[in-house]
Amino acid sequence: MNGSLRDRVAIVTGAGQGVGEGIARRLAQEGARVVVAARRAETGEPVASSIRGDGGDAVCIETDVADGDSVRRCVDETVKRFGRLDIVVHNAFTGGIPHRLEKAQIDKHWMAMSRTSVWASLFCARESYAHLAESSRRPTGDGGGRLILITSPSGVEGSANIPLYSPAKAGQRAIAKSLAREWGPDGITVNCIAPVAASPSLLTAFERNPALQQALEARTPLGRVGDITRDIGSVALFLAGDDSSYVTGQTIVCDGGSFLGL
Amino acid sequence: MTKVDVVGVGPLADSWRKTLTSDVEATVIVVEARPEPARVTELSDEQIDRLWERPMQVVINGLQAAHERGARRIVVVVPTTGMSGGAQYAATAAMAEAARVLVKSAARQWGSSGVTVNAVAVDPQTFGVDPAISGPVSIAPRALEGSVDPGPTVQWLCSGASAHVTGQTVVCDGGLWM
Repeated sequence: MNGSLRDRVAIVTGAGQGVGEGIARRLAQEGARVVVAARRAETGEPVASSIRGDGGDAVCIETDVADGDSVRRCVDETVKRFGRLDIVVHNAFTGGIPHRLEKAQIDKHWMAMSRTSVWASLFCARESYAHLAESSRRPTGDGGGRLILITSPSGVEGSANIPLYSPAKAGQRAIAKSLAREWGPDGITVNCIAPVAASPSLLTAFERNPALQQALEARTPLGRVGDITRDIGSVALFLAGDDSSYVTGQTIVCDGGSFLGL
Repeated sequence: MTKVDVVGVGPLADSWRKTLTSDVEATVIVVEARPEPARVTELSDEQIDRLWERPMQVVINGLQAAHERGARRIVVVVPTTGMSGGAQYAATAAMAEAARVLVKSAARQWGSSGVTVNAVAVDPQTFGVDPAISGPVSIAPRALEGSVDPGPTVQWLCSGASAHVTGQTVVCDGGLWM
């Protein structure tokens, strides 16, 4: 912990649990003032409170990432409260119900994933751009606009169990590449993380099916599932900070070496 | 030989609807990538719906319809914009890449019944994407000179001869994207 993000302000969507929570905690450990953007305060506020209890600075702002107006309000409130916005991590996601593609229904299986992945990524970009650009105009060491999208290895290799999950996640990778081109002249970097981590949903799946955990660990060269803060949060910290200032449009797969096809 | 079912609009789809045939039931889906550049800060919800949501649903529905009608070969044609990204084409790039990766999911699910699903990626200018706005697909010039016709590649992927190729993207752009 060296305070490398001191004075920076970050919004982390879906930070009420899982990967988002791990990223929010890691950024806060390095001095960032963190907005825990969660759909429900019941999940977001305990995380923000816990970060504060650990000596960090965090608030919860209820945000529905599928709603552009809600994302705009979150950004506005963040800037009103902290005076700036440097880092946006879009992690929130809803959906991922196993299904057969031939029986998939747009309303039941697709729309929630589409809205919380691609739509929400574009909303986050649209509403935060001016502040991220302003951050990049600050002196070196005092800013640098960062947009980080949380995607998935399935967004690269497809999925046999959740076929519509993979395109929702693939779309985010293309957005990162496109915005890296579009925002490069402004000094804003845009990257993706494709994690496999011990999120609540994965842990629940392990409880239901212990063989799944064994299979996942067996196919992972590092032999374990990632920790949301230590493993995934640290990759986000790299992309959020000054050390990654020449990295943009990329996807870092953080899954213990399970997927090697990028 | 039977006519290949072609889904989509535009010159590629119109041409292939007249010419493509196959020895097995086959469907080609040409994505509806629209030449409508816009900076992300100016993207309206209506544009996101038009550039991302509606074309993506056409691809999902097209794949389902092809499966329903018993197609043994399914080919989805996309611009390489999804792989390269494109300034002012974020929503279109998202759609193209999502369609390309959905191909892999479909290939994984339907492979056990002998159905192959592949993608053919073509020069974005085929869809009207302006490289002066989007940025170049590659920093290197195109390897091959002359006009590029992805038709024969699509034709082969529609045929029985490609039975063991599935979940792949064949880039047919004269060696621009590598």
